Amino acid sequence: MSEIYYSQAASWKNFLTELRQSFRVYVPQKNNGDYLYQEYRDPVNFSFNSYRAVQPVKSFLFYTKEIIAEDIFTRDLNTEEPRPTVVVGLKNCDLHSLKVQDFVFKEGIEVDPLYSQRRENTIFISGDCSGFKEVCFCLALEIYPHPKEGFDLNLSPVSDGYLVEVGSERGRDLVGRYQKFFQPAKQTQIEVRESKRRGLIEELDRHIKEKDIPKRTILQSIVRQGYSSDLWKNFCLSCVECGACNFICCTCHCFLIGDTQIKDRNPRLRVWDSCQYANFARVAGGANPLKRRAQRLRNRFLKKFDFFVDNLGMPACEGCGRCIEACPARIDIREILRELAKVSPIPT
Amino acid sequence: MYNIYQAQPAIIEDIIEETPTIKSFILRPQRDFSFSTGQFIELSLPGIGEAPFTPSSDPNKKDKLEVTIMNVGRLTQQLHSLSKNVRVGIRGPYGNGYPLEEFKGREILIVGGGVGLAPLRSLLLSLFSELKQYKKVLLRYGARTPKDTLYRNLLSEWSKKIDVITTVDTADKEYKGNVGLVTTILKDFSIDVKKAVSVVCGPPIMMKFTTLKLIDLGFKPENIYLSMEKNMSCGLGKCGHCRIGKYYVCKDGPVFTYDKLENIPDIWD
Repeated sequence: MSEIYYSQAASWKNFLTELRQSFRVYVPQKNNGDYLYQEYRDPVNFSFNSYRAVQPVKSFLFYTKEIIAEDIFTRDLNTEEPRPTVVVGLKNCDLHSLKVQDFVFKEGIEVDPLYSQRRENTIFISGDCSGFKEVCFCLALEIYPHPKEGFDLNLSPVSDGYLVEVGSERGRDLVGRYQKFFQPAKQTQIEVRESKRRGLIEELDRHIKEKDIPKRTILQSIVRQGYSSDLWKNFCLSCVECGACNFICCTCHCFLIGDTQIKDRNPRLRVWDSCQYANFARVAGGANPLKRRAQRLRNRFLKKFDFFVDNLGMPACEGCGRCIEACPARIDIREILRELAKVSPIPT
Repeated sequence: MYNIYQAQPAIIEDIIEETPTIKSFILRPQRDFSFSTGQFIELSLPGIGEAPFTPSSDPNKKDKLEVTIMNVGRLTQQLHSLSKNVRVGIRGPYGNGYPLEEFKGREILIVGGGVGLAPLRSLLLSLFSELKQYKKVLLRYGARTPKDTLYRNLLSEWSKKIDVITTVDTADKEYKGNVGLVTTILKDFSIDVKKAVSVVCGPPIMMKFTTLKLIDLGFKPENIYLSMEKNMSCGLGKCGHCRIGKYYVCKDGPVFTYDKLENIPDIWD
């Protein structure tokens, strides 16, 4: 049985303000029709974000550029205990992307120490979508615009406030510690939530249908079958190899390791990398399996819709549409998937 | 907290000039270092960078480690300019290595090309330590020219223990041996190709044509072991550079049987 509370809008704001005493609190701030996460400082009005923020949620856990070893020979990782962080305003697409990032950094043969430490120290307060952007297509990936799991707390806007659903032990502790801001939700409020959710799904579904995006179940096979298609060449014609699609993507995780020298220390750094860069797969001696732009564009799709389906059982795309907005060449992932479906012999 | 990206220091005890472009570095790690034959390490030059190499030494020796390196890139060029007693870093070992247990009781055809003989030397040393466990071991090796032939002294030593045939792509005046690509000496062996295993390591183009030849000769794809070379940077299946199909070469390889790869397009690129 889910545990749902109600927090009146003013109480919620006071709750966040009090949280600041023990946490770094990030909330989305409206900015030219978009939302950007910013550290919460009074006086800032909390405005509920109706769709996902611009920044990918990975940037809270895996930084664009960071030192991964103060010195390559120092055995222990010399990091200060990071201050616990609360991030408010993630959407269900963002939560799904954490499954991919967790798989990469927390599972496998070794655990990434920095990522795990930050993951442990970050509380995620997600929210239902109450609207969507033109580029949103989560439903095509069978992801609903409201979270069901993977959050610590989840917000649903209802009149004069929010329903707050508990999704983890940490979320429960938080509500327990700050009881005065919460009261049990009424059944009628939950019904309002459900009806709002249904309404948005119907609206988004109509939008997705107009875009004619192939179904999740066939994505792996159309990407495989389109391997030799000319469409990669056609779609990459305008690519300027900026890497924005990778950097803004919540599931892209590739990074480059680089060494440097500062006096007698030899720090090791990690920076986000992009498979759209010419040297991404190049080896010493010059062999480069991703020599051409078309191969690199295809690589992005194979990684998302083939590799991750085989290894994690889900595609590494949540339909957030960030890459569509970020691309200066207007290369649209939805359009590529649609064209792949057209050239694929499988009936869609 | 244990940091997977840090290295342990190792001192270069000796440097052997093998060919005009290849040197072997004998390293003494600060602590004993264990690896299985065929696994690789990340070798770093402090402040400069790191790259993956498969040790060429006997894995039964824990206090020393040998890495044979061809001068082909930014890091290897710097490594080649080093002298003895310099401190380098090592991380690992990573990857799966050769499954010696699977090889026991079988005939093993080892095919090397160029500097690809380095990892195979480690394999051979492992096999030599219990040679009776294996039905038969054959080595076929090709280099570009006689000068580029790696481990020349060792090759004649090994030929006393196992069946060794070598070739060069291009001969010079003094050279008297076989001339031709390594695929031209893959013939006339008295082994049961249907049951034998083959281990191949060399440049991609050599691996490609050797694999096709082995299939032609009747080797089964699941009995052909290939050491794949991709851009392995973290060694841990996280940085994303070495993907082929559903695998990361660093964690699922670097040794793959051909049946796992044959349906993945462009594996030899």
